[in-house]
Amino acid sequence: MHFSKPFGNLMVMKKIGLFVLYTAILVITGGCHEVRDYADDPRGTFEQLWTIMDEHYCFFREKGVDWEEVHSRYAPQIADRMTRQELFDVCARMLDELRDGHTNLSSSFRTSYYRKWWSDYPQNYSARLVEEYYFHFNYLSAGSLDYGVLEENVGYIRYASFASPLGEGNLDAALAYCATADGLIIDVRDNGGGSMTNVETFVSRFITSRTLAGTICHKTGPGHDDFSKPYPYYYYPAEEGRVMWGKPVVVLCNRSTFSAANNFVSVMKGLPNVRIVGATTGGGSGMPFSSELKNGWGVRFSASPVRDPEGNLTEFGVEPTEGYAVDLDPMAALSGRDSMLDLAVSCLTK
Amino acid sequence: MKACYRFLSALLLFLFPAVVLYAGEEDAPMRPVNSSWMLGVGSAHMVDTYLTPLEYDGWNMSLVYQRSQAMKFSPERWMQSLTVGLEVDRTENPARNASMYFAGLRGSWGMMWRHGLPFGLAAAVGPQVRGDIGVVYSNRNGNNPASVKADITIGVQGRLSRTFTLGRMPVTLGWQSELPVTGAFFSPEYDELYYEIYLGNHTGLAHAAWWGNFFRWDNLVTADFDFSATRLRLGFQSGVLSTKVNNITSRIYNFSFVIGVTTDWFSIRRGREVSPATGRVIYAF
Repeated sequence: MHFSKPFGNLMVMKKIGLFVLYTAILVITGGCHEVRDYADDPRGTFEQLWTIMDEHYCFFREKGVDWEEVHSRYAPQIADRMTRQELFDVCARMLDELRDGHTNLSSSFRTSYYRKWWSDYPQNYSARLVEEYYFHFNYLSAGSLDYGVLEENVGYIRYASFASPLGEGNLDAALAYCATADGLIIDVRDNGGGSMTNVETFVSRFITSRTLAGTICHKTGPGHDDFSKPYPYYYYPAEEGRVMWGKPVVVLCNRSTFSAANNFVSVMKGLPNVRIVGATTGGGSGMPFSSELKNGWGVRFSASPVRDPEGNLTEFGVEPTEGYAVDLDPMAALSGRDSMLDLAVSCLTK
Repeated sequence: MKACYRFLSALLLFLFPAVVLYAGEEDAPMRPVNSSWMLGVGSAHMVDTYLTPLEYDGWNMSLVYQRSQAMKFSPERWMQSLTVGLEVDRTENPARNASMYFAGLRGSWGMMWRHGLPFGLAAAVGPQVRGDIGVVYSNRNGNNPASVKADITIGVQGRLSRTFTLGRMPVTLGWQSELPVTGAFFSPEYDELYYEIYLGNHTGLAHAAWWGNFFRWDNLVTADFDFSATRLRLGFQSGVLSTKVNNITSRIYNFSFVIGVTTDWFSIRRGREVSPATGRVIYAF
């Protein structure tokens, strides 16, 4: 080690010491940002769950839920000596107050679901009915798409889940096969959602220019009204060379058309030449967030509302095009007819 | 390339006005490069309320390369130090049923003014520019599985060292510290999905850093054992990153033992005569 002019200076030493001291004080006091902690007992778990929802859930206003009042009803049901199962039941019932299909509590022994958003409605779909009586099981499959051309020269594409990968090649194959048909039915009944990017991939085959798909916003803080300004987002036509569809389209949906599928219906509804046939969809327009509790349970909840191109909230579902609401007729189904599919076919062949 | 070099030189001169006249080439002293490779293994502690309100604990591994050299101008007084590093953390939640990972890269460059102190201590302190990029990943979350950590800062760095002998072997004890003061860093908004960022909403993502919302402090205490030309380095390092912005609190702490090697070396330009005739060799440390 070589310094050309080493010298001792106690003042410098003192300054360095003070700097270290000040820095240490800063670290201890201001440098470390605190995070709230909860006890790992029934009361702590309940309070943590209630607080996570209070600070992050996005539809209190729209659903008219007084979360403080919910706390006052459920907190007395918590006891120090209750079992984990009992605690889970109370917490799950509290979450059911939100009437939200995107809200779940998960433990190693159970996952809670709010099912009434679809269980209170007719199912309106039977895969067997379509596969057996309309296609005689001679439909084609490409990736996650099932497709074929009905006797009335109407193309039919069934996409069962937006969680299943949707390849551009799959769409090319299905649309090219239906190219000579007079119209196209996209059946998303019982489609419980999945990836929003698959919605974009699908919709991009039906648009010819940059198209407003809707708006998205998010919570900006723990207050119930802390939201960002809605951000408009757009979809673009598929890249050149892909098979596009410009003929009339019917999107067939039911109450179990949920989440990303609900979003798909809301975007398609705004396109010209597209009609929505069937029953009001199940909603689920809040993009879900995940969090967790100290005892190891996970919680998922709606946190980021997505609206349709006209600014309407679709959390409660997307209604069919006026005049095209229809349920599955159980008597007709017994004789091999899907009354919803029949209506979709008729509005493309008239 | 040349223009780029000139621009960088001008930028550094602007950032570090202490840069003064260069010494003449003919009587320039030899300035060996001190380089160290360090492997750290220890504990990690993380919380990021964008992902989870719980603190996760686990292990940390890091690999750091540090290169120091006396500056060309005023080599007795000024030195420069370049550090690049890779860090990986794996942690678990208190219930041990979920994992969270962190992987990050860092790079920093700075100059330090050296000063001798009483009791054989040598001190150095100076400004530093630093950049970090990394990601925290939670394996239990669906739409919010990851949180990106990125920042660029300017701050101070310092070093305090003293050499003594252990038996007949020289040992250098050193303490290095890095403390960013200000800069800019990235954070999504409170419950903003990265999907929304992907859709094009980039508002509220970049933030000016100050100690109230961004605090990082890295320390490294080492003992270099002078066995041979290559010295063995043993030490302990701590890293603290604590941020609070957009109602999101994030903390990544790690504490690890360090083992490494450190050497001093010259780089010689091919075809150029090496002349130690001046006898002046100025080490970084």
